[in-house]
Parts: sequence; C-alpha cells; structure tokens
Amino acid sequence: MAQYEKILLKNMEQPGYSGSLKEYEQAGGYQALKKVLKDFSPDAVIDAVKKSGLRGRGGAGFPTGVKWGFIPKDHPGPKYLCCNADESEPGTFKDRQLMERDPHQMLEGMVITCFAIGAETAYIYIRGEFRLGAQILWRALDEAKAAGYVGENLLGSGKTINIYVHQGAGAYICGEETALLESLEGKRGMPRFKPPFPATHGLYQKPTVVNNVETMANIPHIINNGAEWFASIGSPPKSTGTRVFCLSGHVKRPGNYEVPMGIPFREFIYDLGGGMRSDKPLKGFIPGGASAPFLKPEHLDVKMDFESVALAGSMLGSGGVTVMEEGTSMVWAALRLMEFFYHESCGKCTPCREGSSWLVQTLQRIWQKKGRQGDIELLEELCGNIAGRTVCAFGEAEVGPVLSTIKHWRHEYEALIQEAQVALPPNKELPVFSH
Amino acid sequence: MIFEQLQNEVTAILARYPVKRSALLPLLNLAQAREGYVSEPAMREIAKLLDLTPPQVFETVTFYTMFNLKPIGTFHLQICKSLMCALVGSDDLVAWIKNQLDIGPGQTTSDNMFTLSVVECLGSCGTGPMMQVNDDYYEQLTEEKLKRIFDDLRRDGTCSLKSGPFMYPESAAK
Amino acid sequence: MATTQETKPDLVTLTIDGKSARVPKGTLVIEAARQVGVMVPHFCYHPKLTPDANCRMCLVEIEKMPRLQTSCSTPVAEGMVVKSAKSDQVEAARKSVLDFILANHPLDCPVCDQGGRCDLQDFSHEYTATKSQFQELKRVFQKEYFSPLIETQMNRCVQCLRCVRYCDQVMDVKALAPVGRGTLTEIKAFGTHELDCEFCGGCVQICPVGAITSRMSMYEFRPWMLKRADSICGYCGDGCQITYQTKNNSLIEVSSTHGSGRNNGDLCARGYFGYHVSEHPERIQTPLIRQGETFQPAIWEEALEQVGQTLLAIKQQHGPDAIAGLITGRCTNEDLYVFQKFMRGVVGTNQIDSSVRYGHLNGVRALQRVQGTHRWTVSFDDIVEADVLLLVGTNVTETNPITGLKIKEAVKRKGAKLITIEALQPAVGTISNIVNLAHHHFGVRADGFQGAVLALMKSVLETRGMAEDVKASATAYGNDLMAQLSGLAWSRLENRTGYSLSDYGHAASTFCQGKKVVILVGQDVLRASGGYGMTMNLLDLLLLTGKLSNPGCGVAPLAEENNDQGAFEMGAVSDVLPGGFSIDHAESRTAVSKHWGRSIPDSSGGALPQFLERMQSGAIKALLVVGENPLGSLPPVSGIEQALEGLQLLVCQELFMTETARKAHVVLPVCSSAEKEGTFTNTEGHVQAVRKAVEPVGDGRPDWEIFSALSIIMGDSMEYGDVKEIGKEIRNVLPGIRPLGPTPIPSKPDAMVVCGYVGGEYRRDLDSRYRLIDEQPDFSDELLVSLRQSLFHSGKFSLKADGLLKVESEGKLYVHPDEAARRNIGEGDQVDLCNDRGTIRAKVGLRERIPMGMAVFPEHFDQEMRGLLSYAVDPETQVPYYKLAQARIVKV
Ligand SMILES: Cc1cc2nc3c(=O)[nH]c(=O)nc-3n(C[C@H](O)[C@H](O)[C@H](O)COP(=O)(O)O)c2cc1C
Ligand code: SF4
Ligand code: FES
Repeated sequence: MAQYEKILLKNMEQPGYSGSLKEYEQAGGYQALKKVLKDFSPDAVIDAVKKSGLRGRGGAGFPTGVKWGFIPKDHPGPKYLCCNADESEPGTFKDRQLMERDPHQMLEGMVITCFAIGAETAYIYIRGEFRLGAQILWRALDEAKAAGYVGENLLGSGKTINIYVHQGAGAYICGEETALLESLEGKRGMPRFKPPFPATHGLYQKPTVVNNVETMANIPHIINNGAEWFASIGSPPKSTGTRVFCLSGHVKRPGNYEVPMGIPFREFIYDLGGGMRSDKPLKGFIPGGASAPFLKPEHLDVKMDFESVALAGSMLGSGGVTVMEEGTSMVWAALRLMEFFYHESCGKCTPCREGSSWLVQTLQRIWQKKGRQGDIELLEELCGNIAGRTVCAFGEAEVGPVLSTIKHWRHEYEALIQEAQVALPPNKELPVFSH
Repeated sequence: MIFEQLQNEVTAILARYPVKRSALLPLLNLAQAREGYVSEPAMREIAKLLDLTPPQVFETVTFYTMFNLKPIGTFHLQICKSLMCALVGSDDLVAWIKNQLDIGPGQTTSDNMFTLSVVECLGSCGTGPMMQVNDDYYEQLTEEKLKRIFDDLRRDGTCSLKSGPFMYPESAAK
Repeated sequence: MATTQETKPDLVTLTIDGKSARVPKGTLVIEAARQVGVMVPHFCYHPKLTPDANCRMCLVEIEKMPRLQTSCSTPVAEGMVVKSAKSDQVEAARKSVLDFILANHPLDCPVCDQGGRCDLQDFSHEYTATKSQFQELKRVFQKEYFSPLIETQMNRCVQCLRCVRYCDQVMDVKALAPVGRGTLTEIKAFGTHELDCEFCGGCVQICPVGAITSRMSMYEFRPWMLKRADSICGYCGDGCQITYQTKNNSLIEVSSTHGSGRNNGDLCARGYFGYHVSEHPERIQTPLIRQGETFQPAIWEEALEQVGQTLLAIKQQHGPDAIAGLITGRCTNEDLYVFQKFMRGVVGTNQIDSSVRYGHLNGVRALQRVQGTHRWTVSFDDIVEADVLLLVGTNVTETNPITGLKIKEAVKRKGAKLITIEALQPAVGTISNIVNLAHHHFGVRADGFQGAVLALMKSVLETRGMAEDVKASATAYGNDLMAQLSGLAWSRLENRTGYSLSDYGHAASTFCQGKKVVILVGQDVLRASGGYGMTMNLLDLLLLTGKLSNPGCGVAPLAEENNDQGAFEMGAVSDVLPGGFSIDHAESRTAVSKHWGRSIPDSSGGALPQFLERMQSGAIKALLVVGENPLGSLPPVSGIEQALEGLQLLVCQELFMTETARKAHVVLPVCSSAEKEGTFTNTEGHVQAVRKAVEPVGDGRPDWEIFSALSIIMGDSMEYGDVKEIGKEIRNVLPGIRPLGPTPIPSKPDAMVVCGYVGGEYRRDLDSRYRLIDEQPDFSDELLVSLRQSLFHSGKFSLKADGLLKVESEGKLYVHPDEAARRNIGEGDQVDLCNDRGTIRAKVGLRERIPMGMAVFPEHFDQEMRGLLSYAVDPETQVPYYKLAQARIVKV
C-alpha cells in the first residue's frame, strides 16, 4: 500500500500529540505567521495562495487566492473572515478532526488570512452540536492570545486580529456561506441571493471571506513550504494539495484519510479503507458528501480530483465518500438522503421547499410499495424543476441523489412500483406522508 | 431573570460583535444551557438585551433544531438517522431504545430521565452509528454499549464511553 | 420631487420581450418590464420591500446569463436582452413554481376572502394545467387564534414573507415571525400569544393570497360584489388615500393601493380598521329638539326654523356678536368655507373658531410670521429625501403615522440622520417608536422641550456660527439672537434638560452637516405652553443657519385633525379670512366681500378662549357647534361648563350624542366623511378629493347644506346646488387652492416677509421666546401626566369604531415599569391620581417607553382626567393649553 506524506494530519498522528500550543510550536507551528509578518505583504500572501492552486475544501472548490483577491483593497471600515466549521454535509467529518486535534493549525491559517485580506475580526462558525470542538477552539484561542498570535498588537506588529468562536444551533443550511452570514448576524439561516457576493457585501454588509476549516489549515503549510511545493502535490494544475477524505458506509476501516488529490477511488476505498466490510461487493458510492450524485463500481478508477469526478457526473464536494454494498436498496438510500434534505431545506425558495417535501413523499410511497406508474418520470420532472431555480446550491444538491440513483438503478424503482401495482387495488391509494 | 446571574458571560458575548443581534444564538445557547430549554421569559429577556422584539427572537429560535421550546428529560438522546449511520445500523438502535426505554422519537421516559430524538447527520459518519447525549458524542454504538451508557448515565450522570477528541481510524494514531 | 432639482440619473437601454426600455441604472428587470408593459408574475417581490427572491415566480431568461434569473433581484444592464412571456423555458418554470405552490395549497377559494383578487388564482389561471400531479397529503396547520382584527389561514400561505418584511422594513414594528423551517414555516406572533402590533393592516394588504385577512368583514362579501369609492381618511392630518368598498350601502372594507395617495398605499390602524364608526348604531338619525330634559325627534324644517328664527331674534336683539360658531377641522373645506361665510356674511360676526385653535394654529402663525406662508415649504417627499430630520415634541408614529413612515423610510432606507427632542424614551417593542431610530435623542420631560430646543440652537450657533448671508444682510437680527443665546448659561441648560454640552454638540454637528433639513413640530409642542415661541425659535434656527429658503428645508408643524390645515385656509378662524389673510387686511376683506356680495365685519371677533369668557358674562347668547365637543375636550378649569349653561341657544351639528350635544337645544344630524363629497387639505397643504361611498345614515345632511338652509330662513340666501359649486366659488376667491394632482407643490418662503421679520419684526417678543420658561417646582413624588394621542384612536370619534375598540378599549395610565415598581404598583392596578383640582381613578399600564417621573394617558379616554389638567392660554395666538397635569399617585 502506497504511503502518502501527510500535511494536515501530520502533527496529530504523532503519538501523544494533544494539539496544545506548545506541541504545535514544537512541530513548527506559527512559523508561517512569523514569516508572513516579517517578509510578506498582504498581496504577496494572496499571490502565494493563488499560485499554490489551493481550492476551497468546503464543497464548491473555488480557488482560495482568487476569492481573497475579490476583497476590495481600499474599502474603508471593517472586513471579516468567517471560517466555515459548520460541517453538516452527511458523510463529512474531517473538519471536526482538524479542529479537535490540531486547532492551532487552522487558527494560524486564519490569522494569516486575516492579514492577507485586511480583516481585524474573524469568526469561526462551528455547528452547534460540536460542543467539544468549540471548547477546544476557545482554549486554543486563549493560548494563542496569551502568546501574542491572536489579539491586539499581534507579535508586536501593531496589528489587531481577533478571532471568536460562534456556535450554530442545528441547521445544515448554515454551512452555505450566505446563510452562515445571516446566522452569524443572529437571524434565521436563510441564504441570500447573489450577487452581491460576500466579498463585497458579506457579514454586516462588509467585505467578507468565508473559508472552510481545511482550507484554512492548508495556509500555513503553503507559506512555510512555498506555493510551488503545494502546487506540485496532488493532480496539478487544477487539483493541488492533499485532501482529508472521509470514508463511511460498508467498509472495513471508515475514517479520515489524507491523501494527495488524484488517487483513484479504488485505492482509497480498498487500500486505505480496507475494502468492503463483508463479502458483499460494492454496489455504489457517493464520492463527495450527500450532495454528490452516486457513482457505480465502474467509477472506482476515477481519480479523486475535482475534474475527474465532475467528468464522471458527480462532484468531489466536501470529500465525504460513502460506500454501499450489494443488497442496499438504492431507492431507500435516495429516500434517506431526501429526508435529510427535506428536513434541512430552509424553506426560502418555493421549488426547494415544496419540491423536497414532494420528493420525499413520492420516494416514501415507492419505497413502501405504494408507488404508481409514472412516479419515476414524476421524480425526474420534479428534480428538473428544482435544480437551477433556487437561491442557493442546495437545490442542485438535493436532486443529485435522486437523479443519480434513478440513472444507475432505475430497475430498482421499477421493481418496487411493479410490486405496488400488483399489491394495491387500483385507485385505492393511501396517503403515506408523515412529518 | 436568568441573565442577571450571568452578567459576565453576557458582557463577554456582547463584546464579540459589532452588531448586537449577532449575540442572539450565543445567548440562546446560554439560556438553554441554564434552563434546559429556551423559555419564554428567556426569549423576552434576550430580546431586551439585544434591542429586538420578542417575535424576532422567536423566529430565530424556531429555525434551529437544537433549541427546545419545552423542558425535556435530563438526558437528551439524539440518534443520527441519516444515510451513513443508517447504513451501519442506526435504525436498529432506535428500535432497541424504543424497546428498552419505552419511548419513541420526541418522547420522554416517565422518570424524566431520557428524551429521545431522531436527528439528521451529526458529523460522525465514519464512526456510526452514533448518538449525542446532551453535549457529548457516543460513537460506534452497539446495543451493549448503549446499555452501559444508559446505566452509567442513570447512576453517575456521565459515562466514560463518550468520545474524546476525534481520531479515526484509530489504528493510525497508534 | 417637487422642490429640489435632481441630477438626471444614468439611463440604461435594454430589450424585454422585444420591446426596448430605457430606465435608470439600478432599476430591477421586473420594474423595467412593467414600464414597457410586460407584466412578470411574482409573489414575493413588492416595490416597497427589498427583494428577497424567494418565490422564484419571476424567473426570466436573460441572454448571456446561465440559467433563468429572478427579475425581481436582477438590476438592468446596458444591452441586456430579456425574455419573459416569449420564452418556453420561462413558461415552464412558472408553471412548475405554481405547481409547487398549489401542491400544499388547500384550494379553498370558495371560502377565501381573497378569491377574485388573488395573485395565486390569477397566475394559476394563466399558467397551470388543471390537474396537479400532486396526490399526497397536504400540509395542514393548526388553526390558532391570531388577533381580534387579523386572521391567518396559514394553509394558504405561499411563504413569500411579504408580510414579515413589510412589518419590519416599512413599519419598523417587527411583530410577525416566520416560525419553523421549510415547508412547515408559518407566520405567527410571539410564542402562542396573539398578535400584538400596530394593526396597520399592512400585512393584510400586502399578502398576495388569502393567508392573512381582515376579520372585520370576514365571509361577508366576494370582491366582485364590492363597489369602490376613492376618498381620503378622516382621522389625521396625513390625509391618506383610502378606497371604501361597499356592498348594499354598507361599508365592507377599506384599502389603499400601492402607488396611490400621499400614503403610497400604507395606512394605520385608524385608517384601516376604523371605518365602522360611520355605521355605528348610535348615529343620530334625525334632528332633535330639546324639550325640558329630553330631546324630541323633529323634521328638518322644524329644527331649522327654530334655529334660524332664534338666531335672527338674538341678532336683532343683541347684535351679531351675541352669536359665535365653533367648527371642527374634520369637516370638508366646503363645509368650513360655507360655515365661515355664513357666520360672517349672514350672521355678521367674526366670532368663529375651529379646532385649529387647539394647536395647529401655533405652527401656522409662526410660519406666516417668519416666512409669509401658511403652509409647509416641504412635502412628504422632502421628508423622505431629507438628510437631517429634527423632530420636536412628537411621537409621530402615533399621531401622524404616515408622516412617521416617511421618516422611517428616510432614516432606514435613505440614511437620513434623525435628531429627536421628545419625552418618550427608546424602547424596542411591537409598536414602533420613532425615537428608537434617532441618532441623537434628547429625552426631556414634556414640559421641558424649550430648554432642549434652545440648547441645540445655542450649540449649533456656537460651533458653526450663523450663515454668512445672515451675518451680512441681517446683522442686527443675527446679533440679537446670538446675544439671547449667549445669555443662556450652559450650566442652566444642562441642568434643565439633563443633557450635556457635548451631547448637544454632537447633535449640532449632525444638524449642520445637513443640506436638506426638515424640522417637524408635533402636538406636544404645539399644544403645550410655549409652543408658539418654540416653533418661532425653530424657524429662527433655520434662518440663522441659512437653510430656511433652501429647497428641501423647512419647519413642518404637524396637523392633528384631517382638515386642520383646511380650516385655517378656509378662514374658519376669527381673525383669518379665506386664503389665510388677516381680517385686519382691508384689501383682502374688500376682495372677499366683493366675491360674496356681502360685507365682512372688521372687528376681529375673538377666539375660543374669549368665547368662553363672553359666554360666561352673557355677552354671547348663541353658539353653533359643528362637529366639535368643547365640553368633552376642554378641562373644567377653562369654565366651559358654566359658559354653555348661560346660552340661549346651543346648536350642535353632530354624528353622535357628545357631551356637548347633550346640553344642546337643537341637535342636527350630519353626514360622516364617507357619506359626502368635498375636499380635505392635509398637513402638507395638499388638497384632495373626498368622495361619497355610502348614503347618509338617517336624515343626516352635509354641514354646508345646513348653513345654506339656515341662510334662507334668515332671509339672506346663500344657495348652492352641490359641493362642486362651492368648490368653484372657493377657487374663485382663492385661485391658489386649485391643485388636486398627485403631489403637492410646497409654498416658498416669501422673501419680503422674511426681510421684514429679520428687519425688526422679530423683536416684538424676542425676550419672551428666548427666556427659559421658569422651572416647574420639582415635587419628586408627583408624576407629570401627559395626555397624548394614541395610535389606535383619534379624538372621541374613534371610540365608536368597534375595530379600534378591539385593540384599545380603555384608557390606562401608562408608566415605566421601574416607576411602577418604585411605587409598588403593577400592570392593571387601580390608582388614584390627585392634585388640588381633584382626584380621579385610573388603571395602570406599563410601558418601557414612558420616562421616569412621567405618566401618559391616552387623551380620548380622558373624560375624568381632564379634571386634573392645568389650563393656560397663549397670549399671542390664543391657543388654550391643557395637556399636562402634575399629580400624586396613590395605589388604591
Ligand atoms: C447547502 C450547502 C451547505 C454547505 N455546507 C458547508 C459546510 O458545512 N462546510 C463548508 O465548509 N462549506 C459548506 N458549503 C460551502 C460554502 O457555501 C462555501 O462554499 C465554503 O464555505 C467556502 O469555503 P471554501 O472556499 O474554503 O471551500 C455549503 C454549501 C451549500 C450550498
Ligand atoms: S435552495 Fe433550498 S436551502 Fe437554498 S435558499 Fe432555497 S429553500 Fe433555502
Ligand atoms: S418575485 Fe422574484 S423571486 Fe419572488
């Protein structure tokens, strides 16, 4: 089995590493920040990140340096950085590890980012359920503050960079960047329509960068080792660096694995993850979190980078790989995910709000063997009427699982509907929906 | 007046934000930590602290699933039922709990000890099935583990099986 | 915008469905489309609100843009090519959005009050297939009691959040909450409580479907059965456009359309829910003639004959000045005009007065004296466009709610800076409070505004000095005023008002930065001791800073009654001729009497306070009271009771048996404003048409008709065929009164008058205006009780509106919770208020906005409270002041 050099998980995989400031410093922590303060201009940091090819690890994969470059330079008044630690995409649990085990790594990345974009205040929006993570971050912030890495007169530079942890309270949609901002402003977490983008009208309508935890954690390493070094890892030019992929489902060793982007799913699932947990073969997998369309065994050799997965008809998304063995009903799987989306739709857009409930009800009906002829077409039509017609990307996300399972496993739908036709007396249909 | 005794916390929270309303979720979290749920007086008090109307607080509270508007049992059991946990057996655990504690989702045991909720993904998919009990995560659950957790909670109010800082796959750490 | 020149905005050219549109930069595509006649269907968009783009109904195809775009949130761009009705893709998207909405919609159109005027119905008719593919269970919300006036039917909700956004963005009330998430979101108040808000009806009006409806007329109609009449609300000086909707001669509902009227479709509780007053069963139906202690119904001829003959006899025996008349500013201009013409021309006396005397006159007089206008030099539009607004003594959101909305819009949307001098304190609640929005708030006691006004003036002039042209061309005036202000020691001002030099300094620097500055003066100044002087001082402030004559700047006294302004302009004031000219002005007198073919007496006649004296002394024998209720409004110390007792003839033209009417010899039934035609002049000086919506109740007649009839009986016929004839005569007499267009053209200061004023006229009362009113002795245990208008009522009239009574049915003595706690009293407790004038009992209510040391009592419930009031008369304007009382409070 190939051994890959780790970047983000390196410290924490040292035996006994607790993530304290002292240990982080011993492992070379906060050198990047010192370097930046000494040798870099804000633009130089942005340039380095651009050159590194780093793309956001939150899901959309937007080039990070480019995003920072959108922040107006001469803007009077405050700018903000928000670290997206909402991690709510089913199948994804990497940020939790990065925060809980090596909090200073992302904090250092955040301080450098603040420096680059000219922000004096940053918030870490962490999902409410991650109580432990929030505690660890607060503790780390106290340490960093005491050591002068965060707060006023940062390392004697005269700069002020304050970082606060802000806990959510249970809403997946708050991971969407504009919903996150609304939530952070103390409102219902309803996404805003764009434009304007957060880069100009973000938190409190001020220029704001929203970046994922893992994105932040990469920053110090880019500074320390250089943009070229980073750009050479993974599958350049479009997918550089490593990613912490999350593995879940019917595999032997689920968990987080950091690998350079571009290794094939087969290697990831079978070598690192130890393969299927029983002797049942793999039936399908989700390559990038609940929002990513399902793939089939024939896609196992697809490379785990942005383009390759997109070419295969799915997306790398948040990096959560979920594996399903033969015997798993794909209608059921789609239904389970749809229930999630129904539960989490913020309700702003008509198509998403009503469509998600309609989809759930239709899937439930099929799964409970009360489906009707034409239900598959109905599902497809509904999906077509949601995707592309909503404020935020949730609309696209929620139809992915349904459409892809229909595409790959249509016969399973057909079979269930067929059974229903046999079992149900014609024209006697029962409502099956429950909230 | 629940915030009267929490002056320091309130001041510290307010100091973090340039706009008062941002302190809404933190204050609600504080109120719930204190009372176990978000009571009406608490919402009114928060409204006043933040220059909001009570309906503004209310609309926000009801958007987020973690806020309880009614008192619940001492231990809030939240079992994840999303696909990833379901693949590794979360439904069986819910059934088992129902059987053992005689409560379904949304119900509280007669001794007010446990309230069961079936929730969506809690960010622990590689270590499912899992559940959150109040602030703590319990992962890679089995019926045996659950049994021990309930016993411990009943007896000691806590259980050592709760997950520490996240590290999976564990083998890599060793 | 009438008064300021605007720079032409950049125009953008685009194509929509093949039509070319040229619109200002920043226009939204949906608006640009509307302008070229392409109607894009939508639910969540409303021009009043910031776009939310949630319904997805307004999707259009825009060339070179990926996917369909929401036209409600996309601004136009040069060369944009938009396809709406002409795109199949768009058509399909609209269909699907409707399909989604209808999936969970109960389709209960037959029992929905919105049916027939529902956006959802209309769009469905246009776009959807007749059969939905949705065959599941629909979402069902539990029906909950929402409020006495407003009902929700959440199953019909399309979740566009227009109501919620309106309540927040326009009203600044924030009483509605979208509760829950996703498809189960419903609009509620707080918790399980019923709605607690301003009841402006805005949510009902703005809901595109039937999810929020009015309970006043539930299930009583189908929209297509209703007859509509556009008219003007009769409750306050704002003059809102309303549309009465009637069925079989009964009032079913009132609405106001976006884009129409000075209110732009917005209303307050009084306008929206107060209309039933007109149909109240207690309306007087026939003329009534006193017989001993009771009244006997009579026919018109009999009653008029009795009044006419008695008047004639008194006139012959005692001369015309034995007769006086008092009219309300609720009447139409035509009523007012004919009234004063009757009094002057037929009776032959200038002894007339109207409700302008209660306070608005102070403002008008000051405007006249300093700038030669009797109207504002600004309009509502100028308020919206102002960059600095100074509010003195007005909780404008309660007295003049629509002016309040203009201020909210200026501050919240356009970034104007707001300075308030007002007794109320900021306190966020579900009834808006204008001082919450203030950048600089001076919360001084209701009897201490003068100190704050002087302090602010002093600070402005000390920091910025006076304007150069004042220095140059009005040196003496400038120096004299500076000297007066210098004479006021900061320590005294600070002491008196409780605000420091630096507080005033900050506000002053904001004030000075303003290019368009509007000063609004409210009832609590105009109706309180020193009100006239304060208004003068505020005019001085604009003059000294060189702003008085600048476009967009001005002092705006807020009219209380819907037609106070008209009452003044029609000459329903003893020493004022139609057009606002002074009775002493011989030329005007000659001109008017020439028009009339009747002579006009030249003695000024005296004002209401003098009437009272002359009635008591027996000099006045007959009083005509038109829609006024002096016995119900003036405090006993004014001597009103004794005054009425001595009368030989008291005639009341009334809708209801008021306290005064009960003492009358003859009571004549009149029409409400829903039952007659005419015009009202609003606080901006805008003349607007009042139209008849229903037939008069009983034998009620318009007031003018009564004077006309009396004139015939008195042998000096003043006949009019209809209101239009009167209007024509008014326009002949006052050529300036014409405009009935959509926006008023504000007056401009008369340079000659200003010149005269700064040239020396100002000296007359300078010392008294700039002398700090003597401090009231501070009885620390007493409360300063202030009678104030409440949002839900307007005079005693609205106490007959069952809609409004459902919201506020009794008067409470409102105090701050801490004040109450200090005195160990709680909400609902009974207390006695006592001073040396008497003792009255009241129920206590708690409100955060009331300052410590003060109590507020809604004035229309003041029946008993009046016994405690102090009373004084302004030496200059004869305005009676009786809004305040100092009293001890004792828990019962
Ligand atoms: C429905 C939805 C949920 C999302 N949830 C998360 C999340 O939990 N964590 C996250 O980092 N990004 C999430 N995103 C992506 C964010 O909107 C945003 O793109 C990201 O935080 C940007 O950071 P990055 O550029 O570093 O990836 C979500 C997006 C959508 C549309
Ligand atoms: S797409 Fe769904 S989640 Fe996103 S804003 Fe619209 S309703 Fe909310
Ligand atoms: S009107 Fe544009 S989305 Fe509703």
